[in-house]
Amino acid sequence: MEIKTIGVAGTLESSDIQIMISKGTNGIQIDLDSEVIKAYGDQIKEVIITTLKKYGVQNAKVKATDKGALDCVIAARTLTAVQRATETSDQPKLEVL
Amino acid sequence: MDKVVDLYLNNPATKKKWQNFLLKMGITDFGLREIAAIDHTLALIDENGQLVGTGSIANNVLKYIAVCNQDAVPGARFNQMVTALQHYLFDQKIFHSFVFTKAKYATSFSHLGFSELAHTEHAAFLESGTPDINDFIAAIPKIEDQFNKQVAAIVMNANPFTLGHRKLVQLASQENDLVYVFVVATDLSLFKTKERMQLVKSGTSDLKNVLVVSGGDYMVSQSTFPAYFLKSSADLITTQTDIDALVFKNFIAPQLAIKRRYLGTEPFSRTTNFYNQSLTNKLSPLVDVRIVNRFQINGKVITATRVRQLIKEDNLTAISNFVPPQTMQFIYRQKEVLQARIKEGININGN
Repeated sequence: MEIKTIGVAGTLESSDIQIMISKGTNGIQIDLDSEVIKAYGDQIKEVIITTLKKYGVQNAKVKATDKGALDCVIAARTLTAVQRATETSDQPKLEVL
Repeated sequence: MDKVVDLYLNNPATKKKWQNFLLKMGITDFGLREIAAIDHTLALIDENGQLVGTGSIANNVLKYIAVCNQDAVPGARFNQMVTALQHYLFDQKIFHSFVFTKAKYATSFSHLGFSELAHTEHAAFLESGTPDINDFIAAIPKIEDQFNKQVAAIVMNANPFTLGHRKLVQLASQENDLVYVFVVATDLSLFKTKERMQLVKSGTSDLKNVLVVSGGDYMVSQSTFPAYFLKSSADLITTQTDIDALVFKNFIAPQLAIKRRYLGTEPFSRTTNFYNQSLTNKLSPLVDVRIVNRFQINGKVITATRVRQLIKEDNLTAISNFVPPQTMQFIYRQKEVLQARIKEGININGN
């Protein structure tokens, strides 16, 4: 699946995460900003990568600003952002979740 | 739960309320130009209909952000406000934003994923989103073994490219292995950005070690340095020029191995004079700042301001003394278009 534009989803409010996805050339690169990065950084990245891979994205740049989101929220925001970035919002693949 | 609503400042009553709220929160600068630059304003309203927060957008810059934390979780309203402003930008496909703020608020923004580009004693300048400054620098062409070469930079608006610009570039080209010429990207000048870029490129094409690139959002752009394009107070200019100089020092120079920056002396423009001072103060000794005297022809300094004046006066013969042949041809071909732009009111006396 090809990233066509920049896709964003989520907010900067408590318990949420904002995900911004843009074109990348070198695998999935994640720039994560989180207050709990020491404890949960790896897990947050894992959820983002898994969701993107399931959607068929191999290369992307991801900026994530986490405000303490649960895994299900991270996956949902990632899915919405990648749908917007690949311009496939009209054909949602909800089974990815 | 607080609600986000649109505010329309062209309604005098709304504007008054908004202004009173900001005054209460400690924001006191309501310059006409600052207000006129605002594209949109949002507000937070609490359950009782009271104004508890506001923020505005000007181009891709967040402005006039203030929230009242009374009876709220600290930070919650601020986060909600900034989210709302960013979503307003996202809706317009703007995914990259800046904020100028007091130094003490820089951390609040960095908690929301903003990264700091520069700060002075009083002000901080941050960006968020994509493409960011690292993407910008990564896209700039580089040469082999650049970090062991003598690299210099010149930033110019070149409105239009004159013999003065040409001689400055030529001098830098002789004294260095590589010269970056950054052309101001903001499109507020008589000559459009595309035209200025083209004229600088064609006017320096014989100099093989010169690379002409866009200054993007990071060198004398409308976002970072609005005072370059508008008459402003001394304090404001100094803050903005300091920030511009620091962005160059913190990111552009080290990542491109730039060790020298060439400037022309500025006998006429107050703003450019301030800028030269800021650059000298902030960049040395990391970057060697060389201020070169303006070049003269028959005892007269060459300035693009004079060229624009002559275009207005329709005195093309006089222009040929001041500009390289490529710029001259362009002016001959586009005379009517340029004069029409002047008639439509584009400012030709500024920068």
